[in-house]
Amino acid sequence: MSHVHRPARLLDPGLCLTLRPMAYPAFFEMYRAAIKNTWTVEEVDFSTDVGDLRGRMSEAERHLVQRLVAFFATGDAIVANNLVLSLYRHINAPEARMYLSRQLYEEALHVQFYLTLLDTYVPDPDERHRAFAAIENIPSIRRKAEFCMRWLDAVQGMERLDEREQRRRFVLNLICFAACVEGLFFFGAFAYVYFLRSRGLLHGLAAGTNWVFRDESAHMRFAFEVVSTIRREEPELFDAALTSDVQAMIAEAIDCETQFAEDLVGGGVAGLSVRDIRQYLEFCADQRLATLGMPRRYGVKNPLPFMELQDVQEVANFFERRVSAYQVGVTGQVVLDAAF
Amino acid sequence: MDRDMTTSAAADETTRPGFQTSMRVKKRSGALEPVDVSKIVRAIDRRCAGLGDVDAVRVATRTISGLYDGATTQELDLLSIQTAAALIAEEPQYSRLAARLLAAYIDEEVRSEEVRAFSQSIALGRRLGLIHERLHEFVAAAAGRLDEAIAPERDLEFEYFGLRTVYDRYLLRHPQTRRVIETPQQFFLRIACALAESVPEAFELYELLSSLSYLPSSPTLFNAGTRHEQLASCFLIDSPRDQLSHIYQRYTDVAMLSKFSGGIGLAYHRVRSRGSLITVTNGISCGIVPWLKTLDASVAAVNQGGKRKGACCVYLESWHADIEAFLELRDNTGDEASRTHNLNLANWVPDLFMRRVEADAGWSLFDPKTVRDLPDLYGEAFEARYLEYERAGLAVRTVPARELYARMMRTLAQTGNGWMTFKDRCNTTCNQTGAPGRVVHLSNLCTEIVEVTAGDEVAVCNLGSINLARHTKTCPDGQVEFDFDKLARTVRLAVRQLDRVIDLNYYALPGARTSNEKWRPVGLGLMGLQDVFFQIGLAFDGEAARGLSRRISEEIYFHALAASCALARERGRHPSYAETRVARGELQFDAWGVTPSEPARWDRLRAEIGAHGLRNSLLVAIAPTATIAAIAGCYECIEPQVSNLFKRETLSGDFLQVNRYLVAALKQLGLWTEATRDQLKLAEGSVQGLAGLPEALKLVYRTAWELPMRALIDMAAERGAFIDQSQSLNLFSESPSIGQLSSMYFYAWKRGLKTTYYLRSRPATRIAKATVDSAAGAEQSAPRAAVACSLENPQSCEACQ
Repeated sequence: MSHVHRPARLLDPGLCLTLRPMAYPAFFEMYRAAIKNTWTVEEVDFSTDVGDLRGRMSEAERHLVQRLVAFFATGDAIVANNLVLSLYRHINAPEARMYLSRQLYEEALHVQFYLTLLDTYVPDPDERHRAFAAIENIPSIRRKAEFCMRWLDAVQGMERLDEREQRRRFVLNLICFAACVEGLFFFGAFAYVYFLRSRGLLHGLAAGTNWVFRDESAHMRFAFEVVSTIRREEPELFDAALTSDVQAMIAEAIDCETQFAEDLVGGGVAGLSVRDIRQYLEFCADQRLATLGMPRRYGVKNPLPFMELQDVQEVANFFERRVSAYQVGVTGQVVLDAAF
Repeated sequence: MDRDMTTSAAADETTRPGFQTSMRVKKRSGALEPVDVSKIVRAIDRRCAGLGDVDAVRVATRTISGLYDGATTQELDLLSIQTAAALIAEEPQYSRLAARLLAAYIDEEVRSEEVRAFSQSIALGRRLGLIHERLHEFVAAAAGRLDEAIAPERDLEFEYFGLRTVYDRYLLRHPQTRRVIETPQQFFLRIACALAESVPEAFELYELLSSLSYLPSSPTLFNAGTRHEQLASCFLIDSPRDQLSHIYQRYTDVAMLSKFSGGIGLAYHRVRSRGSLITVTNGISCGIVPWLKTLDASVAAVNQGGKRKGACCVYLESWHADIEAFLELRDNTGDEASRTHNLNLANWVPDLFMRRVEADAGWSLFDPKTVRDLPDLYGEAFEARYLEYERAGLAVRTVPARELYARMMRTLAQTGNGWMTFKDRCNTTCNQTGAPGRVVHLSNLCTEIVEVTAGDEVAVCNLGSINLARHTKTCPDGQVEFDFDKLARTVRLAVRQLDRVIDLNYYALPGARTSNEKWRPVGLGLMGLQDVFFQIGLAFDGEAARGLSRRISEEIYFHALAASCALARERGRHPSYAETRVARGELQFDAWGVTPSEPARWDRLRAEIGAHGLRNSLLVAIAPTATIAAIAGCYECIEPQVSNLFKRETLSGDFLQVNRYLVAALKQLGLWTEATRDQLKLAEGSVQGLAGLPEALKLVYRTAWELPMRALIDMAAERGAFIDQSQSLNLFSESPSIGQLSSMYFYAWKRGLKTTYYLRSRPATRIAKATVDSAAGAEQSAPRAAVACSLENPQSCEACQ
């Protein structure tokens, strides 16, 4: 197999190394855009979070935060594993692999962020350990982890995607991580953070999560771009059976996430009900389905008004927040007569 | 869109089964009782008077659907406020409703502290050790009249975001219960009484504040009438001398000044650079970075009275040999030991540097230890000495000027920081540099204050801003026009108030008092310029807008001088008046070579000033007004809107803002629909792609990202001739390049701007829209990649085919 010839299709097995001519410039542009949004954990200011946790939040809200951090601590690591074990192996375009390398770094960064958060929020070393054990000990988190692992296991041992069935399995794995793990589990988790932020609570968590959310949105866009590329190249994979598998997968993900919600807000958090969260997940699921070119199933509106907040531009009062909008990777030369 | 998705959310929620009966609330007594929907609806409906487009039932049902069984009535009240606030992006009137609900909530909280009248609030504050004795006596002597002056209906002026900010941060709280002990109106009257000399003056000031026509800066609003009346906003501190003990002295100075709020500008020009020999120990200096790292930690540690974090901007002259390391202090990669995430950075740029950039020549960097006098020279004297040092071979290094300039631009693009402020222009136009040896060494935290410093004399400024949005009137023909008469009255009252602050102020450092009593500078600014343009219907970059902006600034300067002159006649000129340029007959616009619009009027004023002098050496400065514009519910200072739909993040949480002028216009056109709202979100708050919106309105409702920055700079320069200090001028670039920025800042310098402020840019990738029901928009794949014509791969490029 040649490393210098472009494969005919994105999923044709191999390790293509040829970047010129470039088959999928969209992936390369996504890589470049991602580089411009570099942030570091050190930039996040946690100074008021601990005070909020101790003095401004109820027991039920503290429980919510604890569970959330426990989920985040392991969630990004699971995604990173799937990147290496599945996506990087099978998406055979060097520019796409560049993006995946970048994404892998970002997942590590997210893990580092939530680790720092955990160390800041939870002073007791044993409790910190228990947070990581959550994927085994806490049923609502374990169920989500098992869901992920099942789809990860489905592609285990697949060295090459020669057969249609293998490609189909890969596509389901890809859709699972994009639409369900990133597109529902993370979107669900972000909703809690935005809820707290809309109450002026936990700025450190909110600031970092905002950046994480920005990264995850890009990851999801990339994954869906891969899906639509595959669909263009191999439309026969996208048959009615696949649609029905995806629908079942999404329905199960919503159930997992709803169970998580019952655990999180079970103690009574004013402004967040399990019913609203489930409806929000259904709303998100419809968007994922539509992006995949599949019919919407739920037909509901977004019930969480505070999520509107994350859809619009931030204007930080610099006295109070660090602005998260600056670009890394600015280029060019000094000229004195450029347009501005 | 599916038909069932457009059914109103209210109907959606009321048809949900079961919610009316299953939910119970906990009363103050601890008893549980079932939620009574109609009772909640009535409570909300009472606050809806005059708000035709809000739906009380909808707020009530949504509130209940977010409630949990056994929630307290207080939680219920708060939730109803938040629920109303969450609808603002859909219908701006919900902002008013949320504000009214919050006002009622605050009233109840204050009543629970047994406060029913203004004088009771002051008396309680005094018993609790919060209120200044002077204020207490003032109020006690006129309690009846003052209590009656409270106008509760003024609460209706507030938008939700403004009232929320007042409630969370400004109202006095009981030290133990943490409940507020004054209502918003009592708060305004407290500030007015604390800053007035007589009861009638207090009434005038209260009228100004409670109508949101004018607001003093946050430190004044935080502290006026309290036991620690630190009312000033800005402190400018010259560089520490090149000695260990003095460097540490400065940390203490900064900490003391930060403690009671106020932002710090600190120069660092005099501290030796990396590699310089330390004679006493025969060691080699590590330069300024380790000192700034310590400053960074110190600034983060000192919290402004628990209300906000300390804030400091470090100024460095462009010839300092550590300039490159300085420009990297805010990078988010590299060695953390050389990073200062809490400090702001500004370049103090000599004209000579800009000329070397223009000529593409070399630029010499020096160790301050060998060129000790450069920080104290400007203009020709600076240039002569700089060239002399170059000839003497004292430079540590010489770099291409454009290389350093490109680094400055990169820092601006990557961090927004590293503000360009122009040393020579600041000095040659400053009223305080009339006498030899008087030098401006830096600007302040927000680059709008330009004042001299000398040794340990700390320059101080207290600020206030006029809300221009409240200075318009509607003519009989329905046209809106600017009310210059009201502006004149506001300016004259504001100047008296600002001047009074100088005498009331608590000074944490003796050097601050010395300097402030000598120069008596104040900074009267403005906010809501964008509101005025929206109200009248002017495009921000049009000639009409520029002319109006110039005239407003000219009027402010004129009446401020007149008020200060009147004060001088009453109370005497400021002690250093003889040293000022005004004393020689030079006003700000003379330095700009500009002729004012009514010269005869100005000649009369000049004669008045010649006879009586001025009470204040400086009068006008345009501050960023971040927080007070929020309280007033207007756009910040001189800024164009950033977006028609945006989120504001503050310590009190996040708030959604929608351009209510645009909404009104769209409603008239029948275009304010869910589809429009979704489109606005997808377009990041831009209306340029909005079908059906007339072109003229598209021009008016452009965002900062869509305006030419040249127009912003031109407008700032025209205004500049009437600003004796400076203005916090942010510039915007969607995705900046070195070429674009270098031209832009070069132009700003050429036009004679004294200072510039942040460079605002946008993130390169965005968060997916979570609430827009449009798959095409929500998760579209890399739009930029799609339009970038890919010559590398023509067969897959669809953009040109």
